[in-house]
Order: sequence, then structure tokens, then C-alpha cells
Amino acid sequence: MSMVYINIFLAFILSLMGMLVYRSHLMSSLLCLEGMMLSLFVMMSVTILNNHLTLASMMPIVLLVFAACEAALGLSLLVMVSNTYGTDHVQNLNLLQC
Amino acid sequence: MNMFASCMITALILLTLPIIMTSTKLYKDKLYPYYVKTATSHAFMISMIPAMMFIYSGQEMVISNWHWMTIQTMKLSMSFKLDYFSMIFVPVALFVTWSIMEFSMWYMHSDPYINRFFKYLLMFLITMMILVTANNMFQLFIGWEGVGIMSFLLIGWWYGRTDANTAALQAILYNRIGDVGFIMAMAWFLLHLNAWDLQQIFMSANDNLNLPLFGLLLAATGKSAQFGLHPWLPSAMEGPTPVSALLHSSTMVVAGVFLLIRFHPLMEQNPTIQTLTLCLGAVTTLFTAICALTQNDIKKIVAFSTSSQLGLMIVTIGINQPYLAFLHICTHAFFKAMLFMCSGSIIHSLNDEQDIRKMGGLFKALPFTTTSLIIGSLALTGMPFLTGFYSKDLIIETANTSNTNAWALLITLIATSMTAAYSTRILFFALLGQPRFTPIISINENNPYLINSIKRLLLGSVFAGYVISHSITPTTIPQMTMPHHLKMAALAVTILGFILALELNLTMQGLKFNHSSHYFKFSNLLGYYPTIMHRLAPKTSLFMSQKSASMLLDHIWLESVLPKSIAFFQMKSSTLVSNQKGLIKLYFFSFMITMALSLSILNYHV
Repeated sequence: MSMVYINIFLAFILSLMGMLVYRSHLMSSLLCLEGMMLSLFVMMSVTILNNHLTLASMMPIVLLVFAACEAALGLSLLVMVSNTYGTDHVQNLNLLQC
Repeated sequence: MNMFASCMITALILLTLPIIMTSTKLYKDKLYPYYVKTATSHAFMISMIPAMMFIYSGQEMVISNWHWMTIQTMKLSMSFKLDYFSMIFVPVALFVTWSIMEFSMWYMHSDPYINRFFKYLLMFLITMMILVTANNMFQLFIGWEGVGIMSFLLIGWWYGRTDANTAALQAILYNRIGDVGFIMAMAWFLLHLNAWDLQQIFMSANDNLNLPLFGLLLAATGKSAQFGLHPWLPSAMEGPTPVSALLHSSTMVVAGVFLLIRFHPLMEQNPTIQTLTLCLGAVTTLFTAICALTQNDIKKIVAFSTSSQLGLMIVTIGINQPYLAFLHICTHAFFKAMLFMCSGSIIHSLNDEQDIRKMGGLFKALPFTTTSLIIGSLALTGMPFLTGFYSKDLIIETANTSNTNAWALLITLIATSMTAAYSTRILFFALLGQPRFTPIISINENNPYLINSIKRLLLGSVFAGYVISHSITPTTIPQMTMPHHLKMAALAVTILGFILALELNLTMQGLKFNHSSHYFKFSNLLGYYPTIMHRLAPKTSLFMSQKSASMLLDHIWLESVLPKSIAFFQMKSSTLVSNQKGLIKLYFFSFMITMALSLSILNYHV
């Protein structure tokens, strides 16, 4: 495993940690999710380009599309919470009762 | 013979003269009521001439005056049928109306619109005359509607009072339901027999006549306040007492019975309709007699008494005795009008007190009124050889000896005893005992108008039965032989009713008032019939329409079926399925700890 992969993998792990451990804002979790997607995209593109897996070249595009959808979903949830409470502080989420 | 037609037409035109005079200054005159009363009395005397000619010679006549219109194949003309029924009814009605007009000159003396009152009474009389002398159904219908309209105007005479307006409207509505039957009969006769003339109908009717006769029975139910369409008659007592005496005892309410009597050749052939009539009349007479037992307003008791006697007349038609029913109409007019006039005298003397619980001791204070009240009540119950005896006893005897429905017969006998019971009640509460009214009173029966009018009807109540029944041409043969117990049945039940009512009243005089039993409440609230019909049916329809418009259409179909039900379902299922508490940070943190721990353990595992 060369240095590039370890680097990008480290970026992925860092974003994952950032998503799992966040203090007060829901937005930071979403941002880290975007970071994860970004690092996955880069790793996928580098792997495919280096190993000439031509037929798998569409996979980064597909990954981008799905990442966009999921980002939209996450943002809509954030907007819902923000509409109810005014802010997106995570301590609000404990009071959701439905 | 020539005098017949001209006398009758003269009498009828004489009645219309005061109406024509209303556009002149005679109408504003203070003597207009006197003029109207004199016109009626002269019309009575003139109409006695054709009546006596008819009694002497038995000659009937149809006067067909003026060709009105021809509707394709049917010719309508203004025709007067002067036969047995109208010849005897017209003098009786004019006599009673003459007395009532004289009475109302005393009763309505202080009314500022007394001229209009007399005009309305006269218009009522004219339309009633049109009704009884009509030879075709169209003219009869004109008279029919006319008496309905005048009844409305007269019941609502004191229109400032909401109860009076409600009662007048109630009368119109119930009469209208009966009119549907009348128009149905007219339509059937027009379609099938192409005739509205009575002669042509009787000649050419030979197939199944159930439908038009049922329509006529419905019309009689509406106009004569039979069970089912009866609540308007006690409510109509909101009108002044002369109106009650004229319309709702002698003249208008017998229009329904008169209609059935007019069509008796058709009804003779149809046993189904006869049975229906008999049962309807029997139910009416019993039900209204039950309701009359516990009423407290003197006019309402007499109104229910009228309704009960009307039921008796319908029973008589049901046992195929139209002539007896007609005799009862004529005799009933005398004593019922007199009963109303006596109650009017009592009411006026006690300063407009109508509750019999607040009367009493008038035996010595109003001797003349007391006399006529007692004689009227005795005539009503069928005391032998007073007026009511000649018709009522004959009816009961004929019913007892005819091949008829035993249940209807028994009910009629029970109602006859109840007649005696509530008559005793009126006499006991109004006349006997100690006075129960306030001391500031104006008991006065000195006015000659009052005395003369009641005196005339008193003579009629005593003698008219004898005079009429021995003067008329013999029609159906009365039953001559019957067992003793059947002959004495009517008298026995009447005496039973008298004694029972008197004993009960005397016994209960000093006792404490117990709370009302169920039977008392049934009787006092008129069998709950007005309560159910006037409140439940409209409330149900309004409720149904409101619920279907707002709840069904708006709430359910437009809101709840898809949008709200989906939202509700999702919410309920998500609460059911999820058992999490939303502690996201904790979940993420534990996920991270697990991953870090597993990675580090796997690292050292090799």
C-alpha cells in the first residue's frame, strides 16, 4: 500500500471520526459526511486511474450522484430541525417525541 | 217552485253585500258589525224558505249559472247543488253564525279593528257556503281553500302573539297536507272519468276507486283534524272565542266530513275505504278523548271534544251511514257553538282567565251561563231527548247492530264515556265549589247581545234535534229492534262516565298533589304527538343535512381520507416501531469506540 492510499485513507478516517464525534452542531456531522464522500471519490478515482480499470470509470460519477442525493436528504432533515428549534444544536434532538 | 232558485241565490248574494260595501264609508262606521249581523239573520230567514220547500216536497235542484271555461273536453261552470245536504246545512250554519256574530259584538267590543273582524267572519261564511253548495270539485276546492285562508287570518287575529302566529301557520300546514289528497282525487277524476261534476262522477265510476277515495280521506283527515293531522285544532284555540265557536266547532272542521258525505255513493261500494275510515275515526275519537281528560284550558277541552265528535262522525261514515253523520253535523253545531260561547262568557267575566284550575264558584255568579253550559254538556253527552240524543244515540245503536269491526266499536263506546267524564270535569272545575279566582273581577252577563245569542242557541240545543229529525225525509232505515243491552249501551257508558268523573273529582279535592304518573303525562302532553312530530322530524333532517354537508364532504372526503390518514398512519407506526430515544451523539460515539476497539484487536491478532 503506497503512501497516497494511506493518506487518503487517513483523510477518510479523520472525517469518520469527525462525523461520529461532534459536539453541538448537526451541521458539522453533515460536513464530515461530505468529507467522507470526497475522500472516497478521490481514492476511487486514483485506484481506477492507476490500475487502468476502464470499465469501472463511471463509478466515481455514480458515487457523486448518490452523494448529492444523500446530502440533499441530510440538509432537508437539518432544515426541519432548524425550523422547529431555530438552531441545529444536537441537544435539541433529545426532545423529539413522535 | 220558482221561488226555490231565486230565494237561495238571494240569500247567498245577501251575504256578499257587506263585503262589497267595504270600499264605501259604511265600513268605517261604528254600525258595520250590526249591519253584518242583520245581513246574516236576513239571509237565514230567506234561506228557510227553500229549506221548508225542500222538506215539504223533497225536490232537489241544481243551479248552473255561468259557463266559466272549457279545458279541452271538460266544461267548468259555476253550479250550485241544492240537495238534501246543502238545503239543511245552509239554514243551520246561518243560524249559528247569526248567533255567533251577535255574541262577537259583545266579545270583541273593545277591539279597534272590529269591522275587519266581522268582514273576515263574513268572508269565511261565504266560502263555507260555496263549499257546501258546490256541484263540481273545482268550486268545492275554491270553498275549501277559502275556509283554510280565512281560518289562518282569524286564528292569527292577535298577531302580536307568537303562539297565535305559530298556531295559524300550523293550521295552514296541516290543512295543506290534506289538500294533497284532495288534489290527487281531483287529478284521478280528471284523468279517468274526465269530469269534476259530481253527477258525472257518480254515473260513470265503475272500476277500482281506491286511490281517489283515499285522497278524499286524506283531505278529510287534514281538514277535520283526524288522528295524524290533528294537532292544529287545539292550537287553533289561540284565536278569539267567536272564531273558535264558528270555525273550529261547527263549520270549518265539518268540511272534511261533508266532503266524504258528498261522495257517499262512491264510498258505499268500497269496503276497504270504509274500514279505513272506521278505524281512523275510532282512533281519533278515543285519542282526543284521552287527551281531553287532563287539559287545563277550558277552550282546549272543548276543542278536543270537537275533535272527538268529528271522529265519531267519521266512524258513522265508516259504517256506511252518511245521513246520520250529516244529522250529527247539524245537531253538533248548535251545542258546540253554545259551549264555546259560554266559555267565552266565562273568560271575559274572569278578566281573560282560561285555566279551569283558577275558576270556580260561578254557579251563583253567572246563572245564565251556568245553565247553558250544563245544558250544552248534557246535549253533548247524549242526554235522552236533547239535541245530541237524536244523532249520537242513533249512531251508537247503528254501530252496535251492524256487521262491523268490534275493536272500533269498543273504542267508540269508551270514548263516549270519556265524553261524559271530561264534560263533568269542566262543570266541576268551572262552576262548582268555592271561587278560585282573584277578587278583583268584573263578572257581568247583563249585555243583551250575549244573552240573546246564547238563548237562541240554547233553544236550538234543546229542540233542534227533535225538529230536524222529525222533519227530514226518511233516508236509510234505522235499526228498530235490538237487544236491551245494546239499546242501553250508550246511555249506560255515559252515566258510568259521569258518575266516575264526579266521584273522582270529589274524592281528590282535598288531597295533596302527587307527582304525575306516566298516564297523566301521556294525556296532558297530547300523547307526545306534537312533541315528536314538530321537533324530532325537523331536527333529524336538519342534523342529517348539516352532518352530511360539513362532516361527510368537507371533513372526511376532502381532508381525512388521504392526507390526514397517511400522516396519522405514518406517525403511529413510527412510534410503534421505533424504540430509540434520539441520542445521536451517544450512538455515534459508541459506533466509533466499537470500530476502534475491533480494529486494534484485529491488529494484534495477526
